[in-house]
Amino acid sequence: MNFALFAIALPLLAAALLGSLGAPRQGAVANAVASLALFGLTLAVFWGHSEGLVAVDPLAALFGTVTGFVGLTAALVNVGYVSTDVARMPARRWRLYHALFQIVLGASLLGLYANNVGLLWAAMEGGTIAMTLAVSLYRTPTGLEAAWKYFILGGVGIGLALFGTMLVYLAAQPALGPGFAAMSFTALSTHAAHMDGALLTLAFLFILFGYGTKAALVPLHGWLPDAYAEGPAPLTTALSGLLINVALLAILRFRHLMVANAAAGGSAMPPGPFLLSLGLASLFLAAFSFSRRRDARRFFGFSSIEQSGISAFAFGIGGPTAIFGGLLHMLLHTLLKSGLFLALIRAAGLRGSVTPGNYGFSHLRGLLRANKYIGWLLAGCIFALSGLPPSGLFVSEFIIISQTIQKNPYMSMPLGLGLLLCAVAILRNIGPLLFASSPHEKLKPAGRGAWLVVAHLALVFLLAFAMPTPLVHMLSQEAEALR
Amino acid sequence: MSLTFSLAHLLGGIILLCAFLQLSQRRLAAMITLYQLEALVLSAAAFWQGFAQTELNLYLTGLITLVIKAILLPWALREIVLRFNMARAVETALPMAVSMVLGLALIGIAVLVVLPTTMSSVSLTREDLAIALSVVLLGLLLMIVRRNALAQIIGFLSTENGLVLAAIGMPDMPFVAEFSVALLVLLAFLVVGVFLLRIREHFDTLDLSGLEEIERRGR
Repeated sequence: MNFALFAIALPLLAAALLGSLGAPRQGAVANAVASLALFGLTLAVFWGHSEGLVAVDPLAALFGTVTGFVGLTAALVNVGYVSTDVARMPARRWRLYHALFQIVLGASLLGLYANNVGLLWAAMEGGTIAMTLAVSLYRTPTGLEAAWKYFILGGVGIGLALFGTMLVYLAAQPALGPGFAAMSFTALSTHAAHMDGALLTLAFLFILFGYGTKAALVPLHGWLPDAYAEGPAPLTTALSGLLINVALLAILRFRHLMVANAAAGGSAMPPGPFLLSLGLASLFLAAFSFSRRRDARRFFGFSSIEQSGISAFAFGIGGPTAIFGGLLHMLLHTLLKSGLFLALIRAAGLRGSVTPGNYGFSHLRGLLRANKYIGWLLAGCIFALSGLPPSGLFVSEFIIISQTIQKNPYMSMPLGLGLLLCAVAILRNIGPLLFASSPHEKLKPAGRGAWLVVAHLALVFLLAFAMPTPLVHMLSQEAEALR
Repeated sequence: MSLTFSLAHLLGGIILLCAFLQLSQRRLAAMITLYQLEALVLSAAAFWQGFAQTELNLYLTGLITLVIKAILLPWALREIVLRFNMARAVETALPMAVSMVLGLALIGIAVLVVLPTTMSSVSLTREDLAIALSVVLLGLLLMIVRRNALAQIIGFLSTENGLVLAAIGMPDMPFVAEFSVALLVLLAFLVVGVFLLRIREHFDTLDLSGLEEIERRGR
């Protein structure tokens, strides 16, 4: 059975229902139920059979499951979020919020599962529109500014990506003939050798900058920190990593076409230098932007730019092992970052309000005096984000660095320096966040849902240090195929 | 065959001219009129390609373009101009002459990039693609050199026109892309429409240079 189709259709149907019916709290519960069903379906995709426009390869299925998992945990935390924040918006806007929640999930899954460059583009477009609406949901001046930025940059990115998509079709058309065949990823990658290399290079540039906007690669990252900081937290922070994954995977797949074409004697340029420079630029921009961020959500937004840059860098290095490292990094970072934001939402909840503007570091500091459990959990997530040893990200970053030293030694210096700068900037925040004295001295209960953060952290640890052998095989096969 | 070529190029050329002239206009009303003309010619180009390739999808694209982009959108834009009393000239970030020189440079770049890379394609597609890329780039430039929100939207819509022009020139491209573009414009406009109203509520003006609250507060 083609479970992938159900997995794409379910959130869209749920969005229609959630958007039209129900009070905020009921909506949150229904949203959680829908997300649970969706998680089940994304697991079932592994055993399903699919072909045609929506043909799922194991890599897409794996990222789909992560999408389902992140959606589920965010939806569970969202139940608590809605009940503390219910007075901030009228009931109709809460319905819109829950509908957008499901649409973002559906668009991410469509983008992952689609075996058609046009469908992938449509998914990104839908995700962009939903996210724009989500960022502006609170209707504050800063929120509208962030949404406007998102809309303009995202719209330009989507436009460039469409142009690139059409150029890919044009490049493939002589080899594959007109029609849907010249738009399917599987057909494109088997016939990459016969495609027009020069046109493919032009197409890749448009796609790199188009989807690079969605993946928040420098110089097109401007929307991300503001978008993270302004919208309702579960939707615009915990879920936004999913669309970044879709964009990065798209870039990886198109990159593979270039490499395959060049390897077979085609005239495509090697994509490595483009990806390496964008990746390093993102890494360094993040490293130098971390200081002086007062808002925690904006701060961790810059960290997403950093991680996205690291993955792009790994894809630029190329070869099966580096790509494996890049994919692992994406997986771990998605899980870790959404876990971190769930903890952050809870931490802001301890201070009384979860609306944007209550996530300043100065507002959150001294968490241990409010609740030890949440404080240590958040500190654990932040520590893991820095990529120091017991953290899962250490493994993926280690793979990427060792591959860089092997293949492109000169690049390992700036990469190491960038990683170090970022790690220092991230670690600096832990001390004040935990131990500083704060005016709010009362102990408060951790609330339900803290175990979800533990689940995220445990999963990151497990995937990095004790990944099940079948999963390792699968991921390395996929990395080999996309090398 | 030669009539197909020359008419398609003529229509593409008019679209490019409209996109370029938008750079030189200070008044929103004139920009909207130029956009309307651009969309009208685009729908004619889609119909002509539909006739030349005997493709029903292209007729449909032409119809969507005609109804939504050439009639509905300009009407709504004029309505906004009227309602918000924005008939006066809008602010530009760069002097007119500089932005027009930049526009010329972008057209040159588009031609220089597209023509050598597409040697294997039919010449109709090649030249159409060069024109389409120029229109896309000019639209992006327009978004950069105008401070007014509505002028930026017109630049965005002009970019979309360039994309549709590229899509209709592609031989037998499946309809997915064109339909998505048409849908995008509609949705984008809905989104933007919401924004405009809200921006008006909050800032009393559509000049985006006042929209720097985040900068002011310190991030």
